[in-house]
Amino acid sequence: MNYNGFQELAATNQWSAIWPELSMAGIGLLVLCLDLFLPSSRKRLIPLVAIFGQLALLAVLVMGCGCATESTGPLFGGMIESGPYTPYMRAFFVLSSTLVCYLGVSYLSRQNLPRSEFYLLTIFVSGAMMLLVQSSNFVMLFVSLETVTIGFYVLVSYCRYSPFSLEAGLKYLILGALSSAILLFGIVLLYGAASNPALAQSTTDSMNFAALGKFIAATPEEPLVLVGAVLVLCGICFKIGAVPFQIWVPDVYQGAPTPVTAFLAVSSKAAGFLVLMNLVAGPFAALSKLTVPLLSAIAIITILFGNITALGQRNVKRVIGLSGIAHAGYLLVGVVAMAVGVALAPWAIIFYLFAYLFASFAVFGVMVHLAGVEDEIQEIDHYQKLAERQPFLAGVLAIGLGSLAGIPPLAGFIGKLLLFIAAFQAELYTLLGAAIIGVVISVYYYFGWMREAFFIKPALPGDEARPSYPMPGAVGIIHKLTLGLLVVITVLMGLFQRGIFGG
Amino acid sequence: MPDFLFYLFSALTVLSAFLVTVSRNAVNGAMYMIVSFVGMAALFVLLEAYFLAALQVLVYAGAVMVLFLFIIMLLDAGKGRTVRPDRLTTAAACIGGLLLISGLIYITFDSGAAPSTPLPVITELPENATATNIPFTTSSRSFGYGLFTKYMLPFQVTGFLLLIAMIGVIVLSKRIDSSGDEPAKPRIAKS
Repeated sequence: MNYNGFQELAATNQWSAIWPELSMAGIGLLVLCLDLFLPSSRKRLIPLVAIFGQLALLAVLVMGCGCATESTGPLFGGMIESGPYTPYMRAFFVLSSTLVCYLGVSYLSRQNLPRSEFYLLTIFVSGAMMLLVQSSNFVMLFVSLETVTIGFYVLVSYCRYSPFSLEAGLKYLILGALSSAILLFGIVLLYGAASNPALAQSTTDSMNFAALGKFIAATPEEPLVLVGAVLVLCGICFKIGAVPFQIWVPDVYQGAPTPVTAFLAVSSKAAGFLVLMNLVAGPFAALSKLTVPLLSAIAIITILFGNITALGQRNVKRVIGLSGIAHAGYLLVGVVAMAVGVALAPWAIIFYLFAYLFASFAVFGVMVHLAGVEDEIQEIDHYQKLAERQPFLAGVLAIGLGSLAGIPPLAGFIGKLLLFIAAFQAELYTLLGAAIIGVVISVYYYFGWMREAFFIKPALPGDEARPSYPMPGAVGIIHKLTLGLLVVITVLMGLFQRGIFGG
Repeated sequence: MPDFLFYLFSALTVLSAFLVTVSRNAVNGAMYMIVSFVGMAALFVLLEAYFLAALQVLVYAGAVMVLFLFIIMLLDAGKGRTVRPDRLTTAAACIGGLLLISGLIYITFDSGAAPSTPLPVITELPENATATNIPFTTSSRSFGYGLFTKYMLPFQVTGFLLLIAMIGVIVLSKRIDSSGDEPAKPRIAKS
């Protein structure tokens, strides 16, 4: 019996290399223990522990971002491999999770719901996302993806006495399980094809991205491989909400508690895109004849569908959901450019994701503040005369929506510009055209929302029949600081890009 | 003798699996499913995969089926009216099943259809086990080596997955009054 192979394997289990993920798990477990042992008069400490713990981790991560980031190579026997984007995405997920916990504080203060489990689940799910974007093996990918998805099933239906939330949870459960099944079926087909000793370059480790990539490069025409790759891409497209797998988005975004909607819109989508990037540039690199046309078609339909359906919506959470589909379409343009081989594309995607994070959380911060107990039925009409009543919130909303729409001095504009430059370099002119048309359409509904907040409509006959909406309360100083910080970063990212991502 | 046992247990597995689909009562169906699982475990034993056989009995025939029965009895399923599938669904299912069966028969009896190489017989770990190549053997020991070396990280993440699922079930099902964080509504004073 020879143990050398296993000793080699055990030596790659470097737990110190995944310390941010371990810290997230640690913070989550700490919250769990505090919830168990603290007397109920001290339970208010729990969100503070969750938020400040993650802020401390974020500070360490941001300081580490500037340092040289050499790839450490495959770890844990090829389960994960940190790439050039890993430090940024770790910071991204920790930041997003912190903001979700922060929004959760103001949301939960209005609801009679269990408290600490919300922070716990958010933190665990974010930790799993950090592992998901590094995974270089289908076993690891599926396990961490399921951890994320199951966490979301619970979070989406968290407000369980609201029929909207339950409906959203049920829809997300069924469609999420379906998409997991499709993804798994694709993985199994790839596994079966790559392990077949009768084929060239067959491998005994066919779940591994590197080995699978070699096999696919040797036999790109194998039908089993093509079917498997398409099914895997379909499974991922479900997670990012690309057409034709977008059916769940509006209902789930509307029904989920607002902080969870933000979490779904930002973190879940970002994780899906990073996985897609890893797959397209990794094992499926040899399949660019298949992936480029397939993803291009999906991108065009997604951009147009998202923008056109968002036009007629009045419910703000549905608007955010449908415009999120359009944003997924723009990001898919970047993925296609990456599959063609443009070096700028992955960085453009990451910049766009960061711009999307800051702008979205600014808008969601305003939404959480304006929402009453039933936050699923927030209409655009709620925002009438917001500029008169709460000029600060109206300003935050304007800058957030402006950035989402891509108005010049803001971060969202630069993000879209970078994506379009990448698409131009890749000579994807059709995609570029569709994306520009999409941006023009999107200006209409983003500005319609802003117009509601800033301009007073003349009173029409029949206006008395409309329900009047309660005035939002005063904005607390912490809420002001947080939202102000998000807005300032959005503006600064639009003005100064040099220095981010090493220039 | 092994041939005879193989046919006996295969027949048992297939027959009880068929009965699962046609039985009217959900509890009967679950019982047939247990028989089917046990038959499959016996087939694993014939293949000398004793570990898999034990898992099959312990996990599937034991834990999973107890859960099934529990749910069936808890929800009182099977008492509602039966929904007959419409004609289109029936036709599609029949055609799909026929295609599947003909494909399986083709693969089984046509030697050229699926290139197959004989699998090496391993009962103990070979000398040349490396980082990328953990061979599957029939001994439970090799599963342990795999889980605690190569698949250590997914194994641990699975633990967190189960923790999330457990917490989620409790959050979604515990009574709101007993959340205990804050006195949400003033209780009616005892008269």
